[in-house]
Amino acid sequence: MGWFSTTSPSTTSPEPSQDGGFIAPDRSARQQCWEGRDAFFQCLDRNNIVDSVKESDKAQKACAPELKAFEGACAESWVTYFKKRRVFEHQKEQTMKKLAAEGAQPLDPATAGSVNAAGAKGR
Amino acid sequence: MASMFKPSMRIAESDICRQCLRLQTRRNLFSISTQNPKSEIRSRPLNASTAVQSSRTTQPSPRFAKSNARPFSSTHPSRAYKTVEEAKTRYKLGPFSWQAGALFLLAGAGLTIYFRYEKARMARARVAEANKGVGRPLVGGPFHLTDMHGREFTEKDLKGKYSLVYFGFTHCPDICPEELDKMAGMIDNVREKYGDVLKPVFISCDPARDTPEVMRRYLADFHKDILGMTGTWQEVKDVCRAYRVYFSTPPDVKPGQDYLVDHSIYFYLMDPEGDFVEAIGRNFTVDAASRVIGDHVADWKGRIEK
Repeated sequence: MGWFSTTSPSTTSPEPSQDGGFIAPDRSARQQCWEGRDAFFQCLDRNNIVDSVKESDKAQKACAPELKAFEGACAESWVTYFKKRRVFEHQKEQTMKKLAAEGAQPLDPATAGSVNAAGAKGR
Repeated sequence: MASMFKPSMRIAESDICRQCLRLQTRRNLFSISTQNPKSEIRSRPLNASTAVQSSRTTQPSPRFAKSNARPFSSTHPSRAYKTVEEAKTRYKLGPFSWQAGALFLLAGAGLTIYFRYEKARMARARVAEANKGVGRPLVGGPFHLTDMHGREFTEKDLKGKYSLVYFGFTHCPDICPEELDKMAGMIDNVREKYGDVLKPVFISCDPARDTPEVMRRYLADFHKDILGMTGTWQEVKDVCRAYRVYFSTPPDVKPGQDYLVDHSIYFYLMDPEGDFVEAIGRNFTVDAASRVIGDHVADWKGRIEK
């Protein structure tokens, strides 16, 4: 349970299972990680930083304690993933806003792009 | 409605009747004078009452049938009208009445609902049929895995019930846990409505870390019904290929290495014969997805093991 304590760095390898696998974080550990992520992202929002990978120096300077807590609560791969996803989500949001400004109509989310719709059409 | 109209109608009726009486009298006078001038003029005094009688007797109404002589024909008309005017309005309206109107609306609404239902059912049948394909299935097919209790699991074990197949890995940061929580909701919804008709399966795309024990512990967080599957790297690669799932796990990872696995994030609904029915994407809410599954379950004509 190395990554739950905030003091240990994320490089600690996960707990091995008895049959040779590695135990995944459970619900509470995930929750902890997500909370760390949200706190870090709120700090980035306050400092107008979107991409904390490219602007890692700036993020490190502005949100050092949040980043430390975030990295302590999540595996390294998760930290990178969430940072990248934030950029992706931001770009998506910008695109949506741009499209909305151009007067685009959103598709019905329940059917748009589903196999159902594609299957019904593709005949 | 009808009762509200009645009094005013009566007034109008009597007014019109007086007019028509006058008209009738004039016509009678005229016809009498031209047809047989002598006998009739002498034998009967010409006043309004006789004119009324003669004009009314042509309309066989029960009231006059009693007081007057017998009507001309012994067969009664299908509907007796009290006045000429009533007959006239009847004629104008044709066979329309409020009962007929209600029946019409009811039938219309019923047919609309029925056609909508049929249309939706046909669309589902089309999706299921299109995905069933001929020969080699588009999605799904033979595979060999090990379930989280260490038992062998193949495509044959999916048959008998509808199955909901999801691919993921236990070290998944956010999407898989969210989707598995949704899966738990779908399982409960479908079970509540249709009973034990669904077999939920979670197949790991990360066999290096996801051993049966890891799967068991992980899935206990979500739903007791979800059966976890894992296998050798090659077995997992094969099942991913069969289900058209993007598989990017490197074959040689160091123990304890920290990495993520890319994978498709669809739920695959398979029918009791093991054929692919429909893929349910992330954009579906629990309720929407449950409805999709439930509708297919309800459509299924064959047997479902419970």
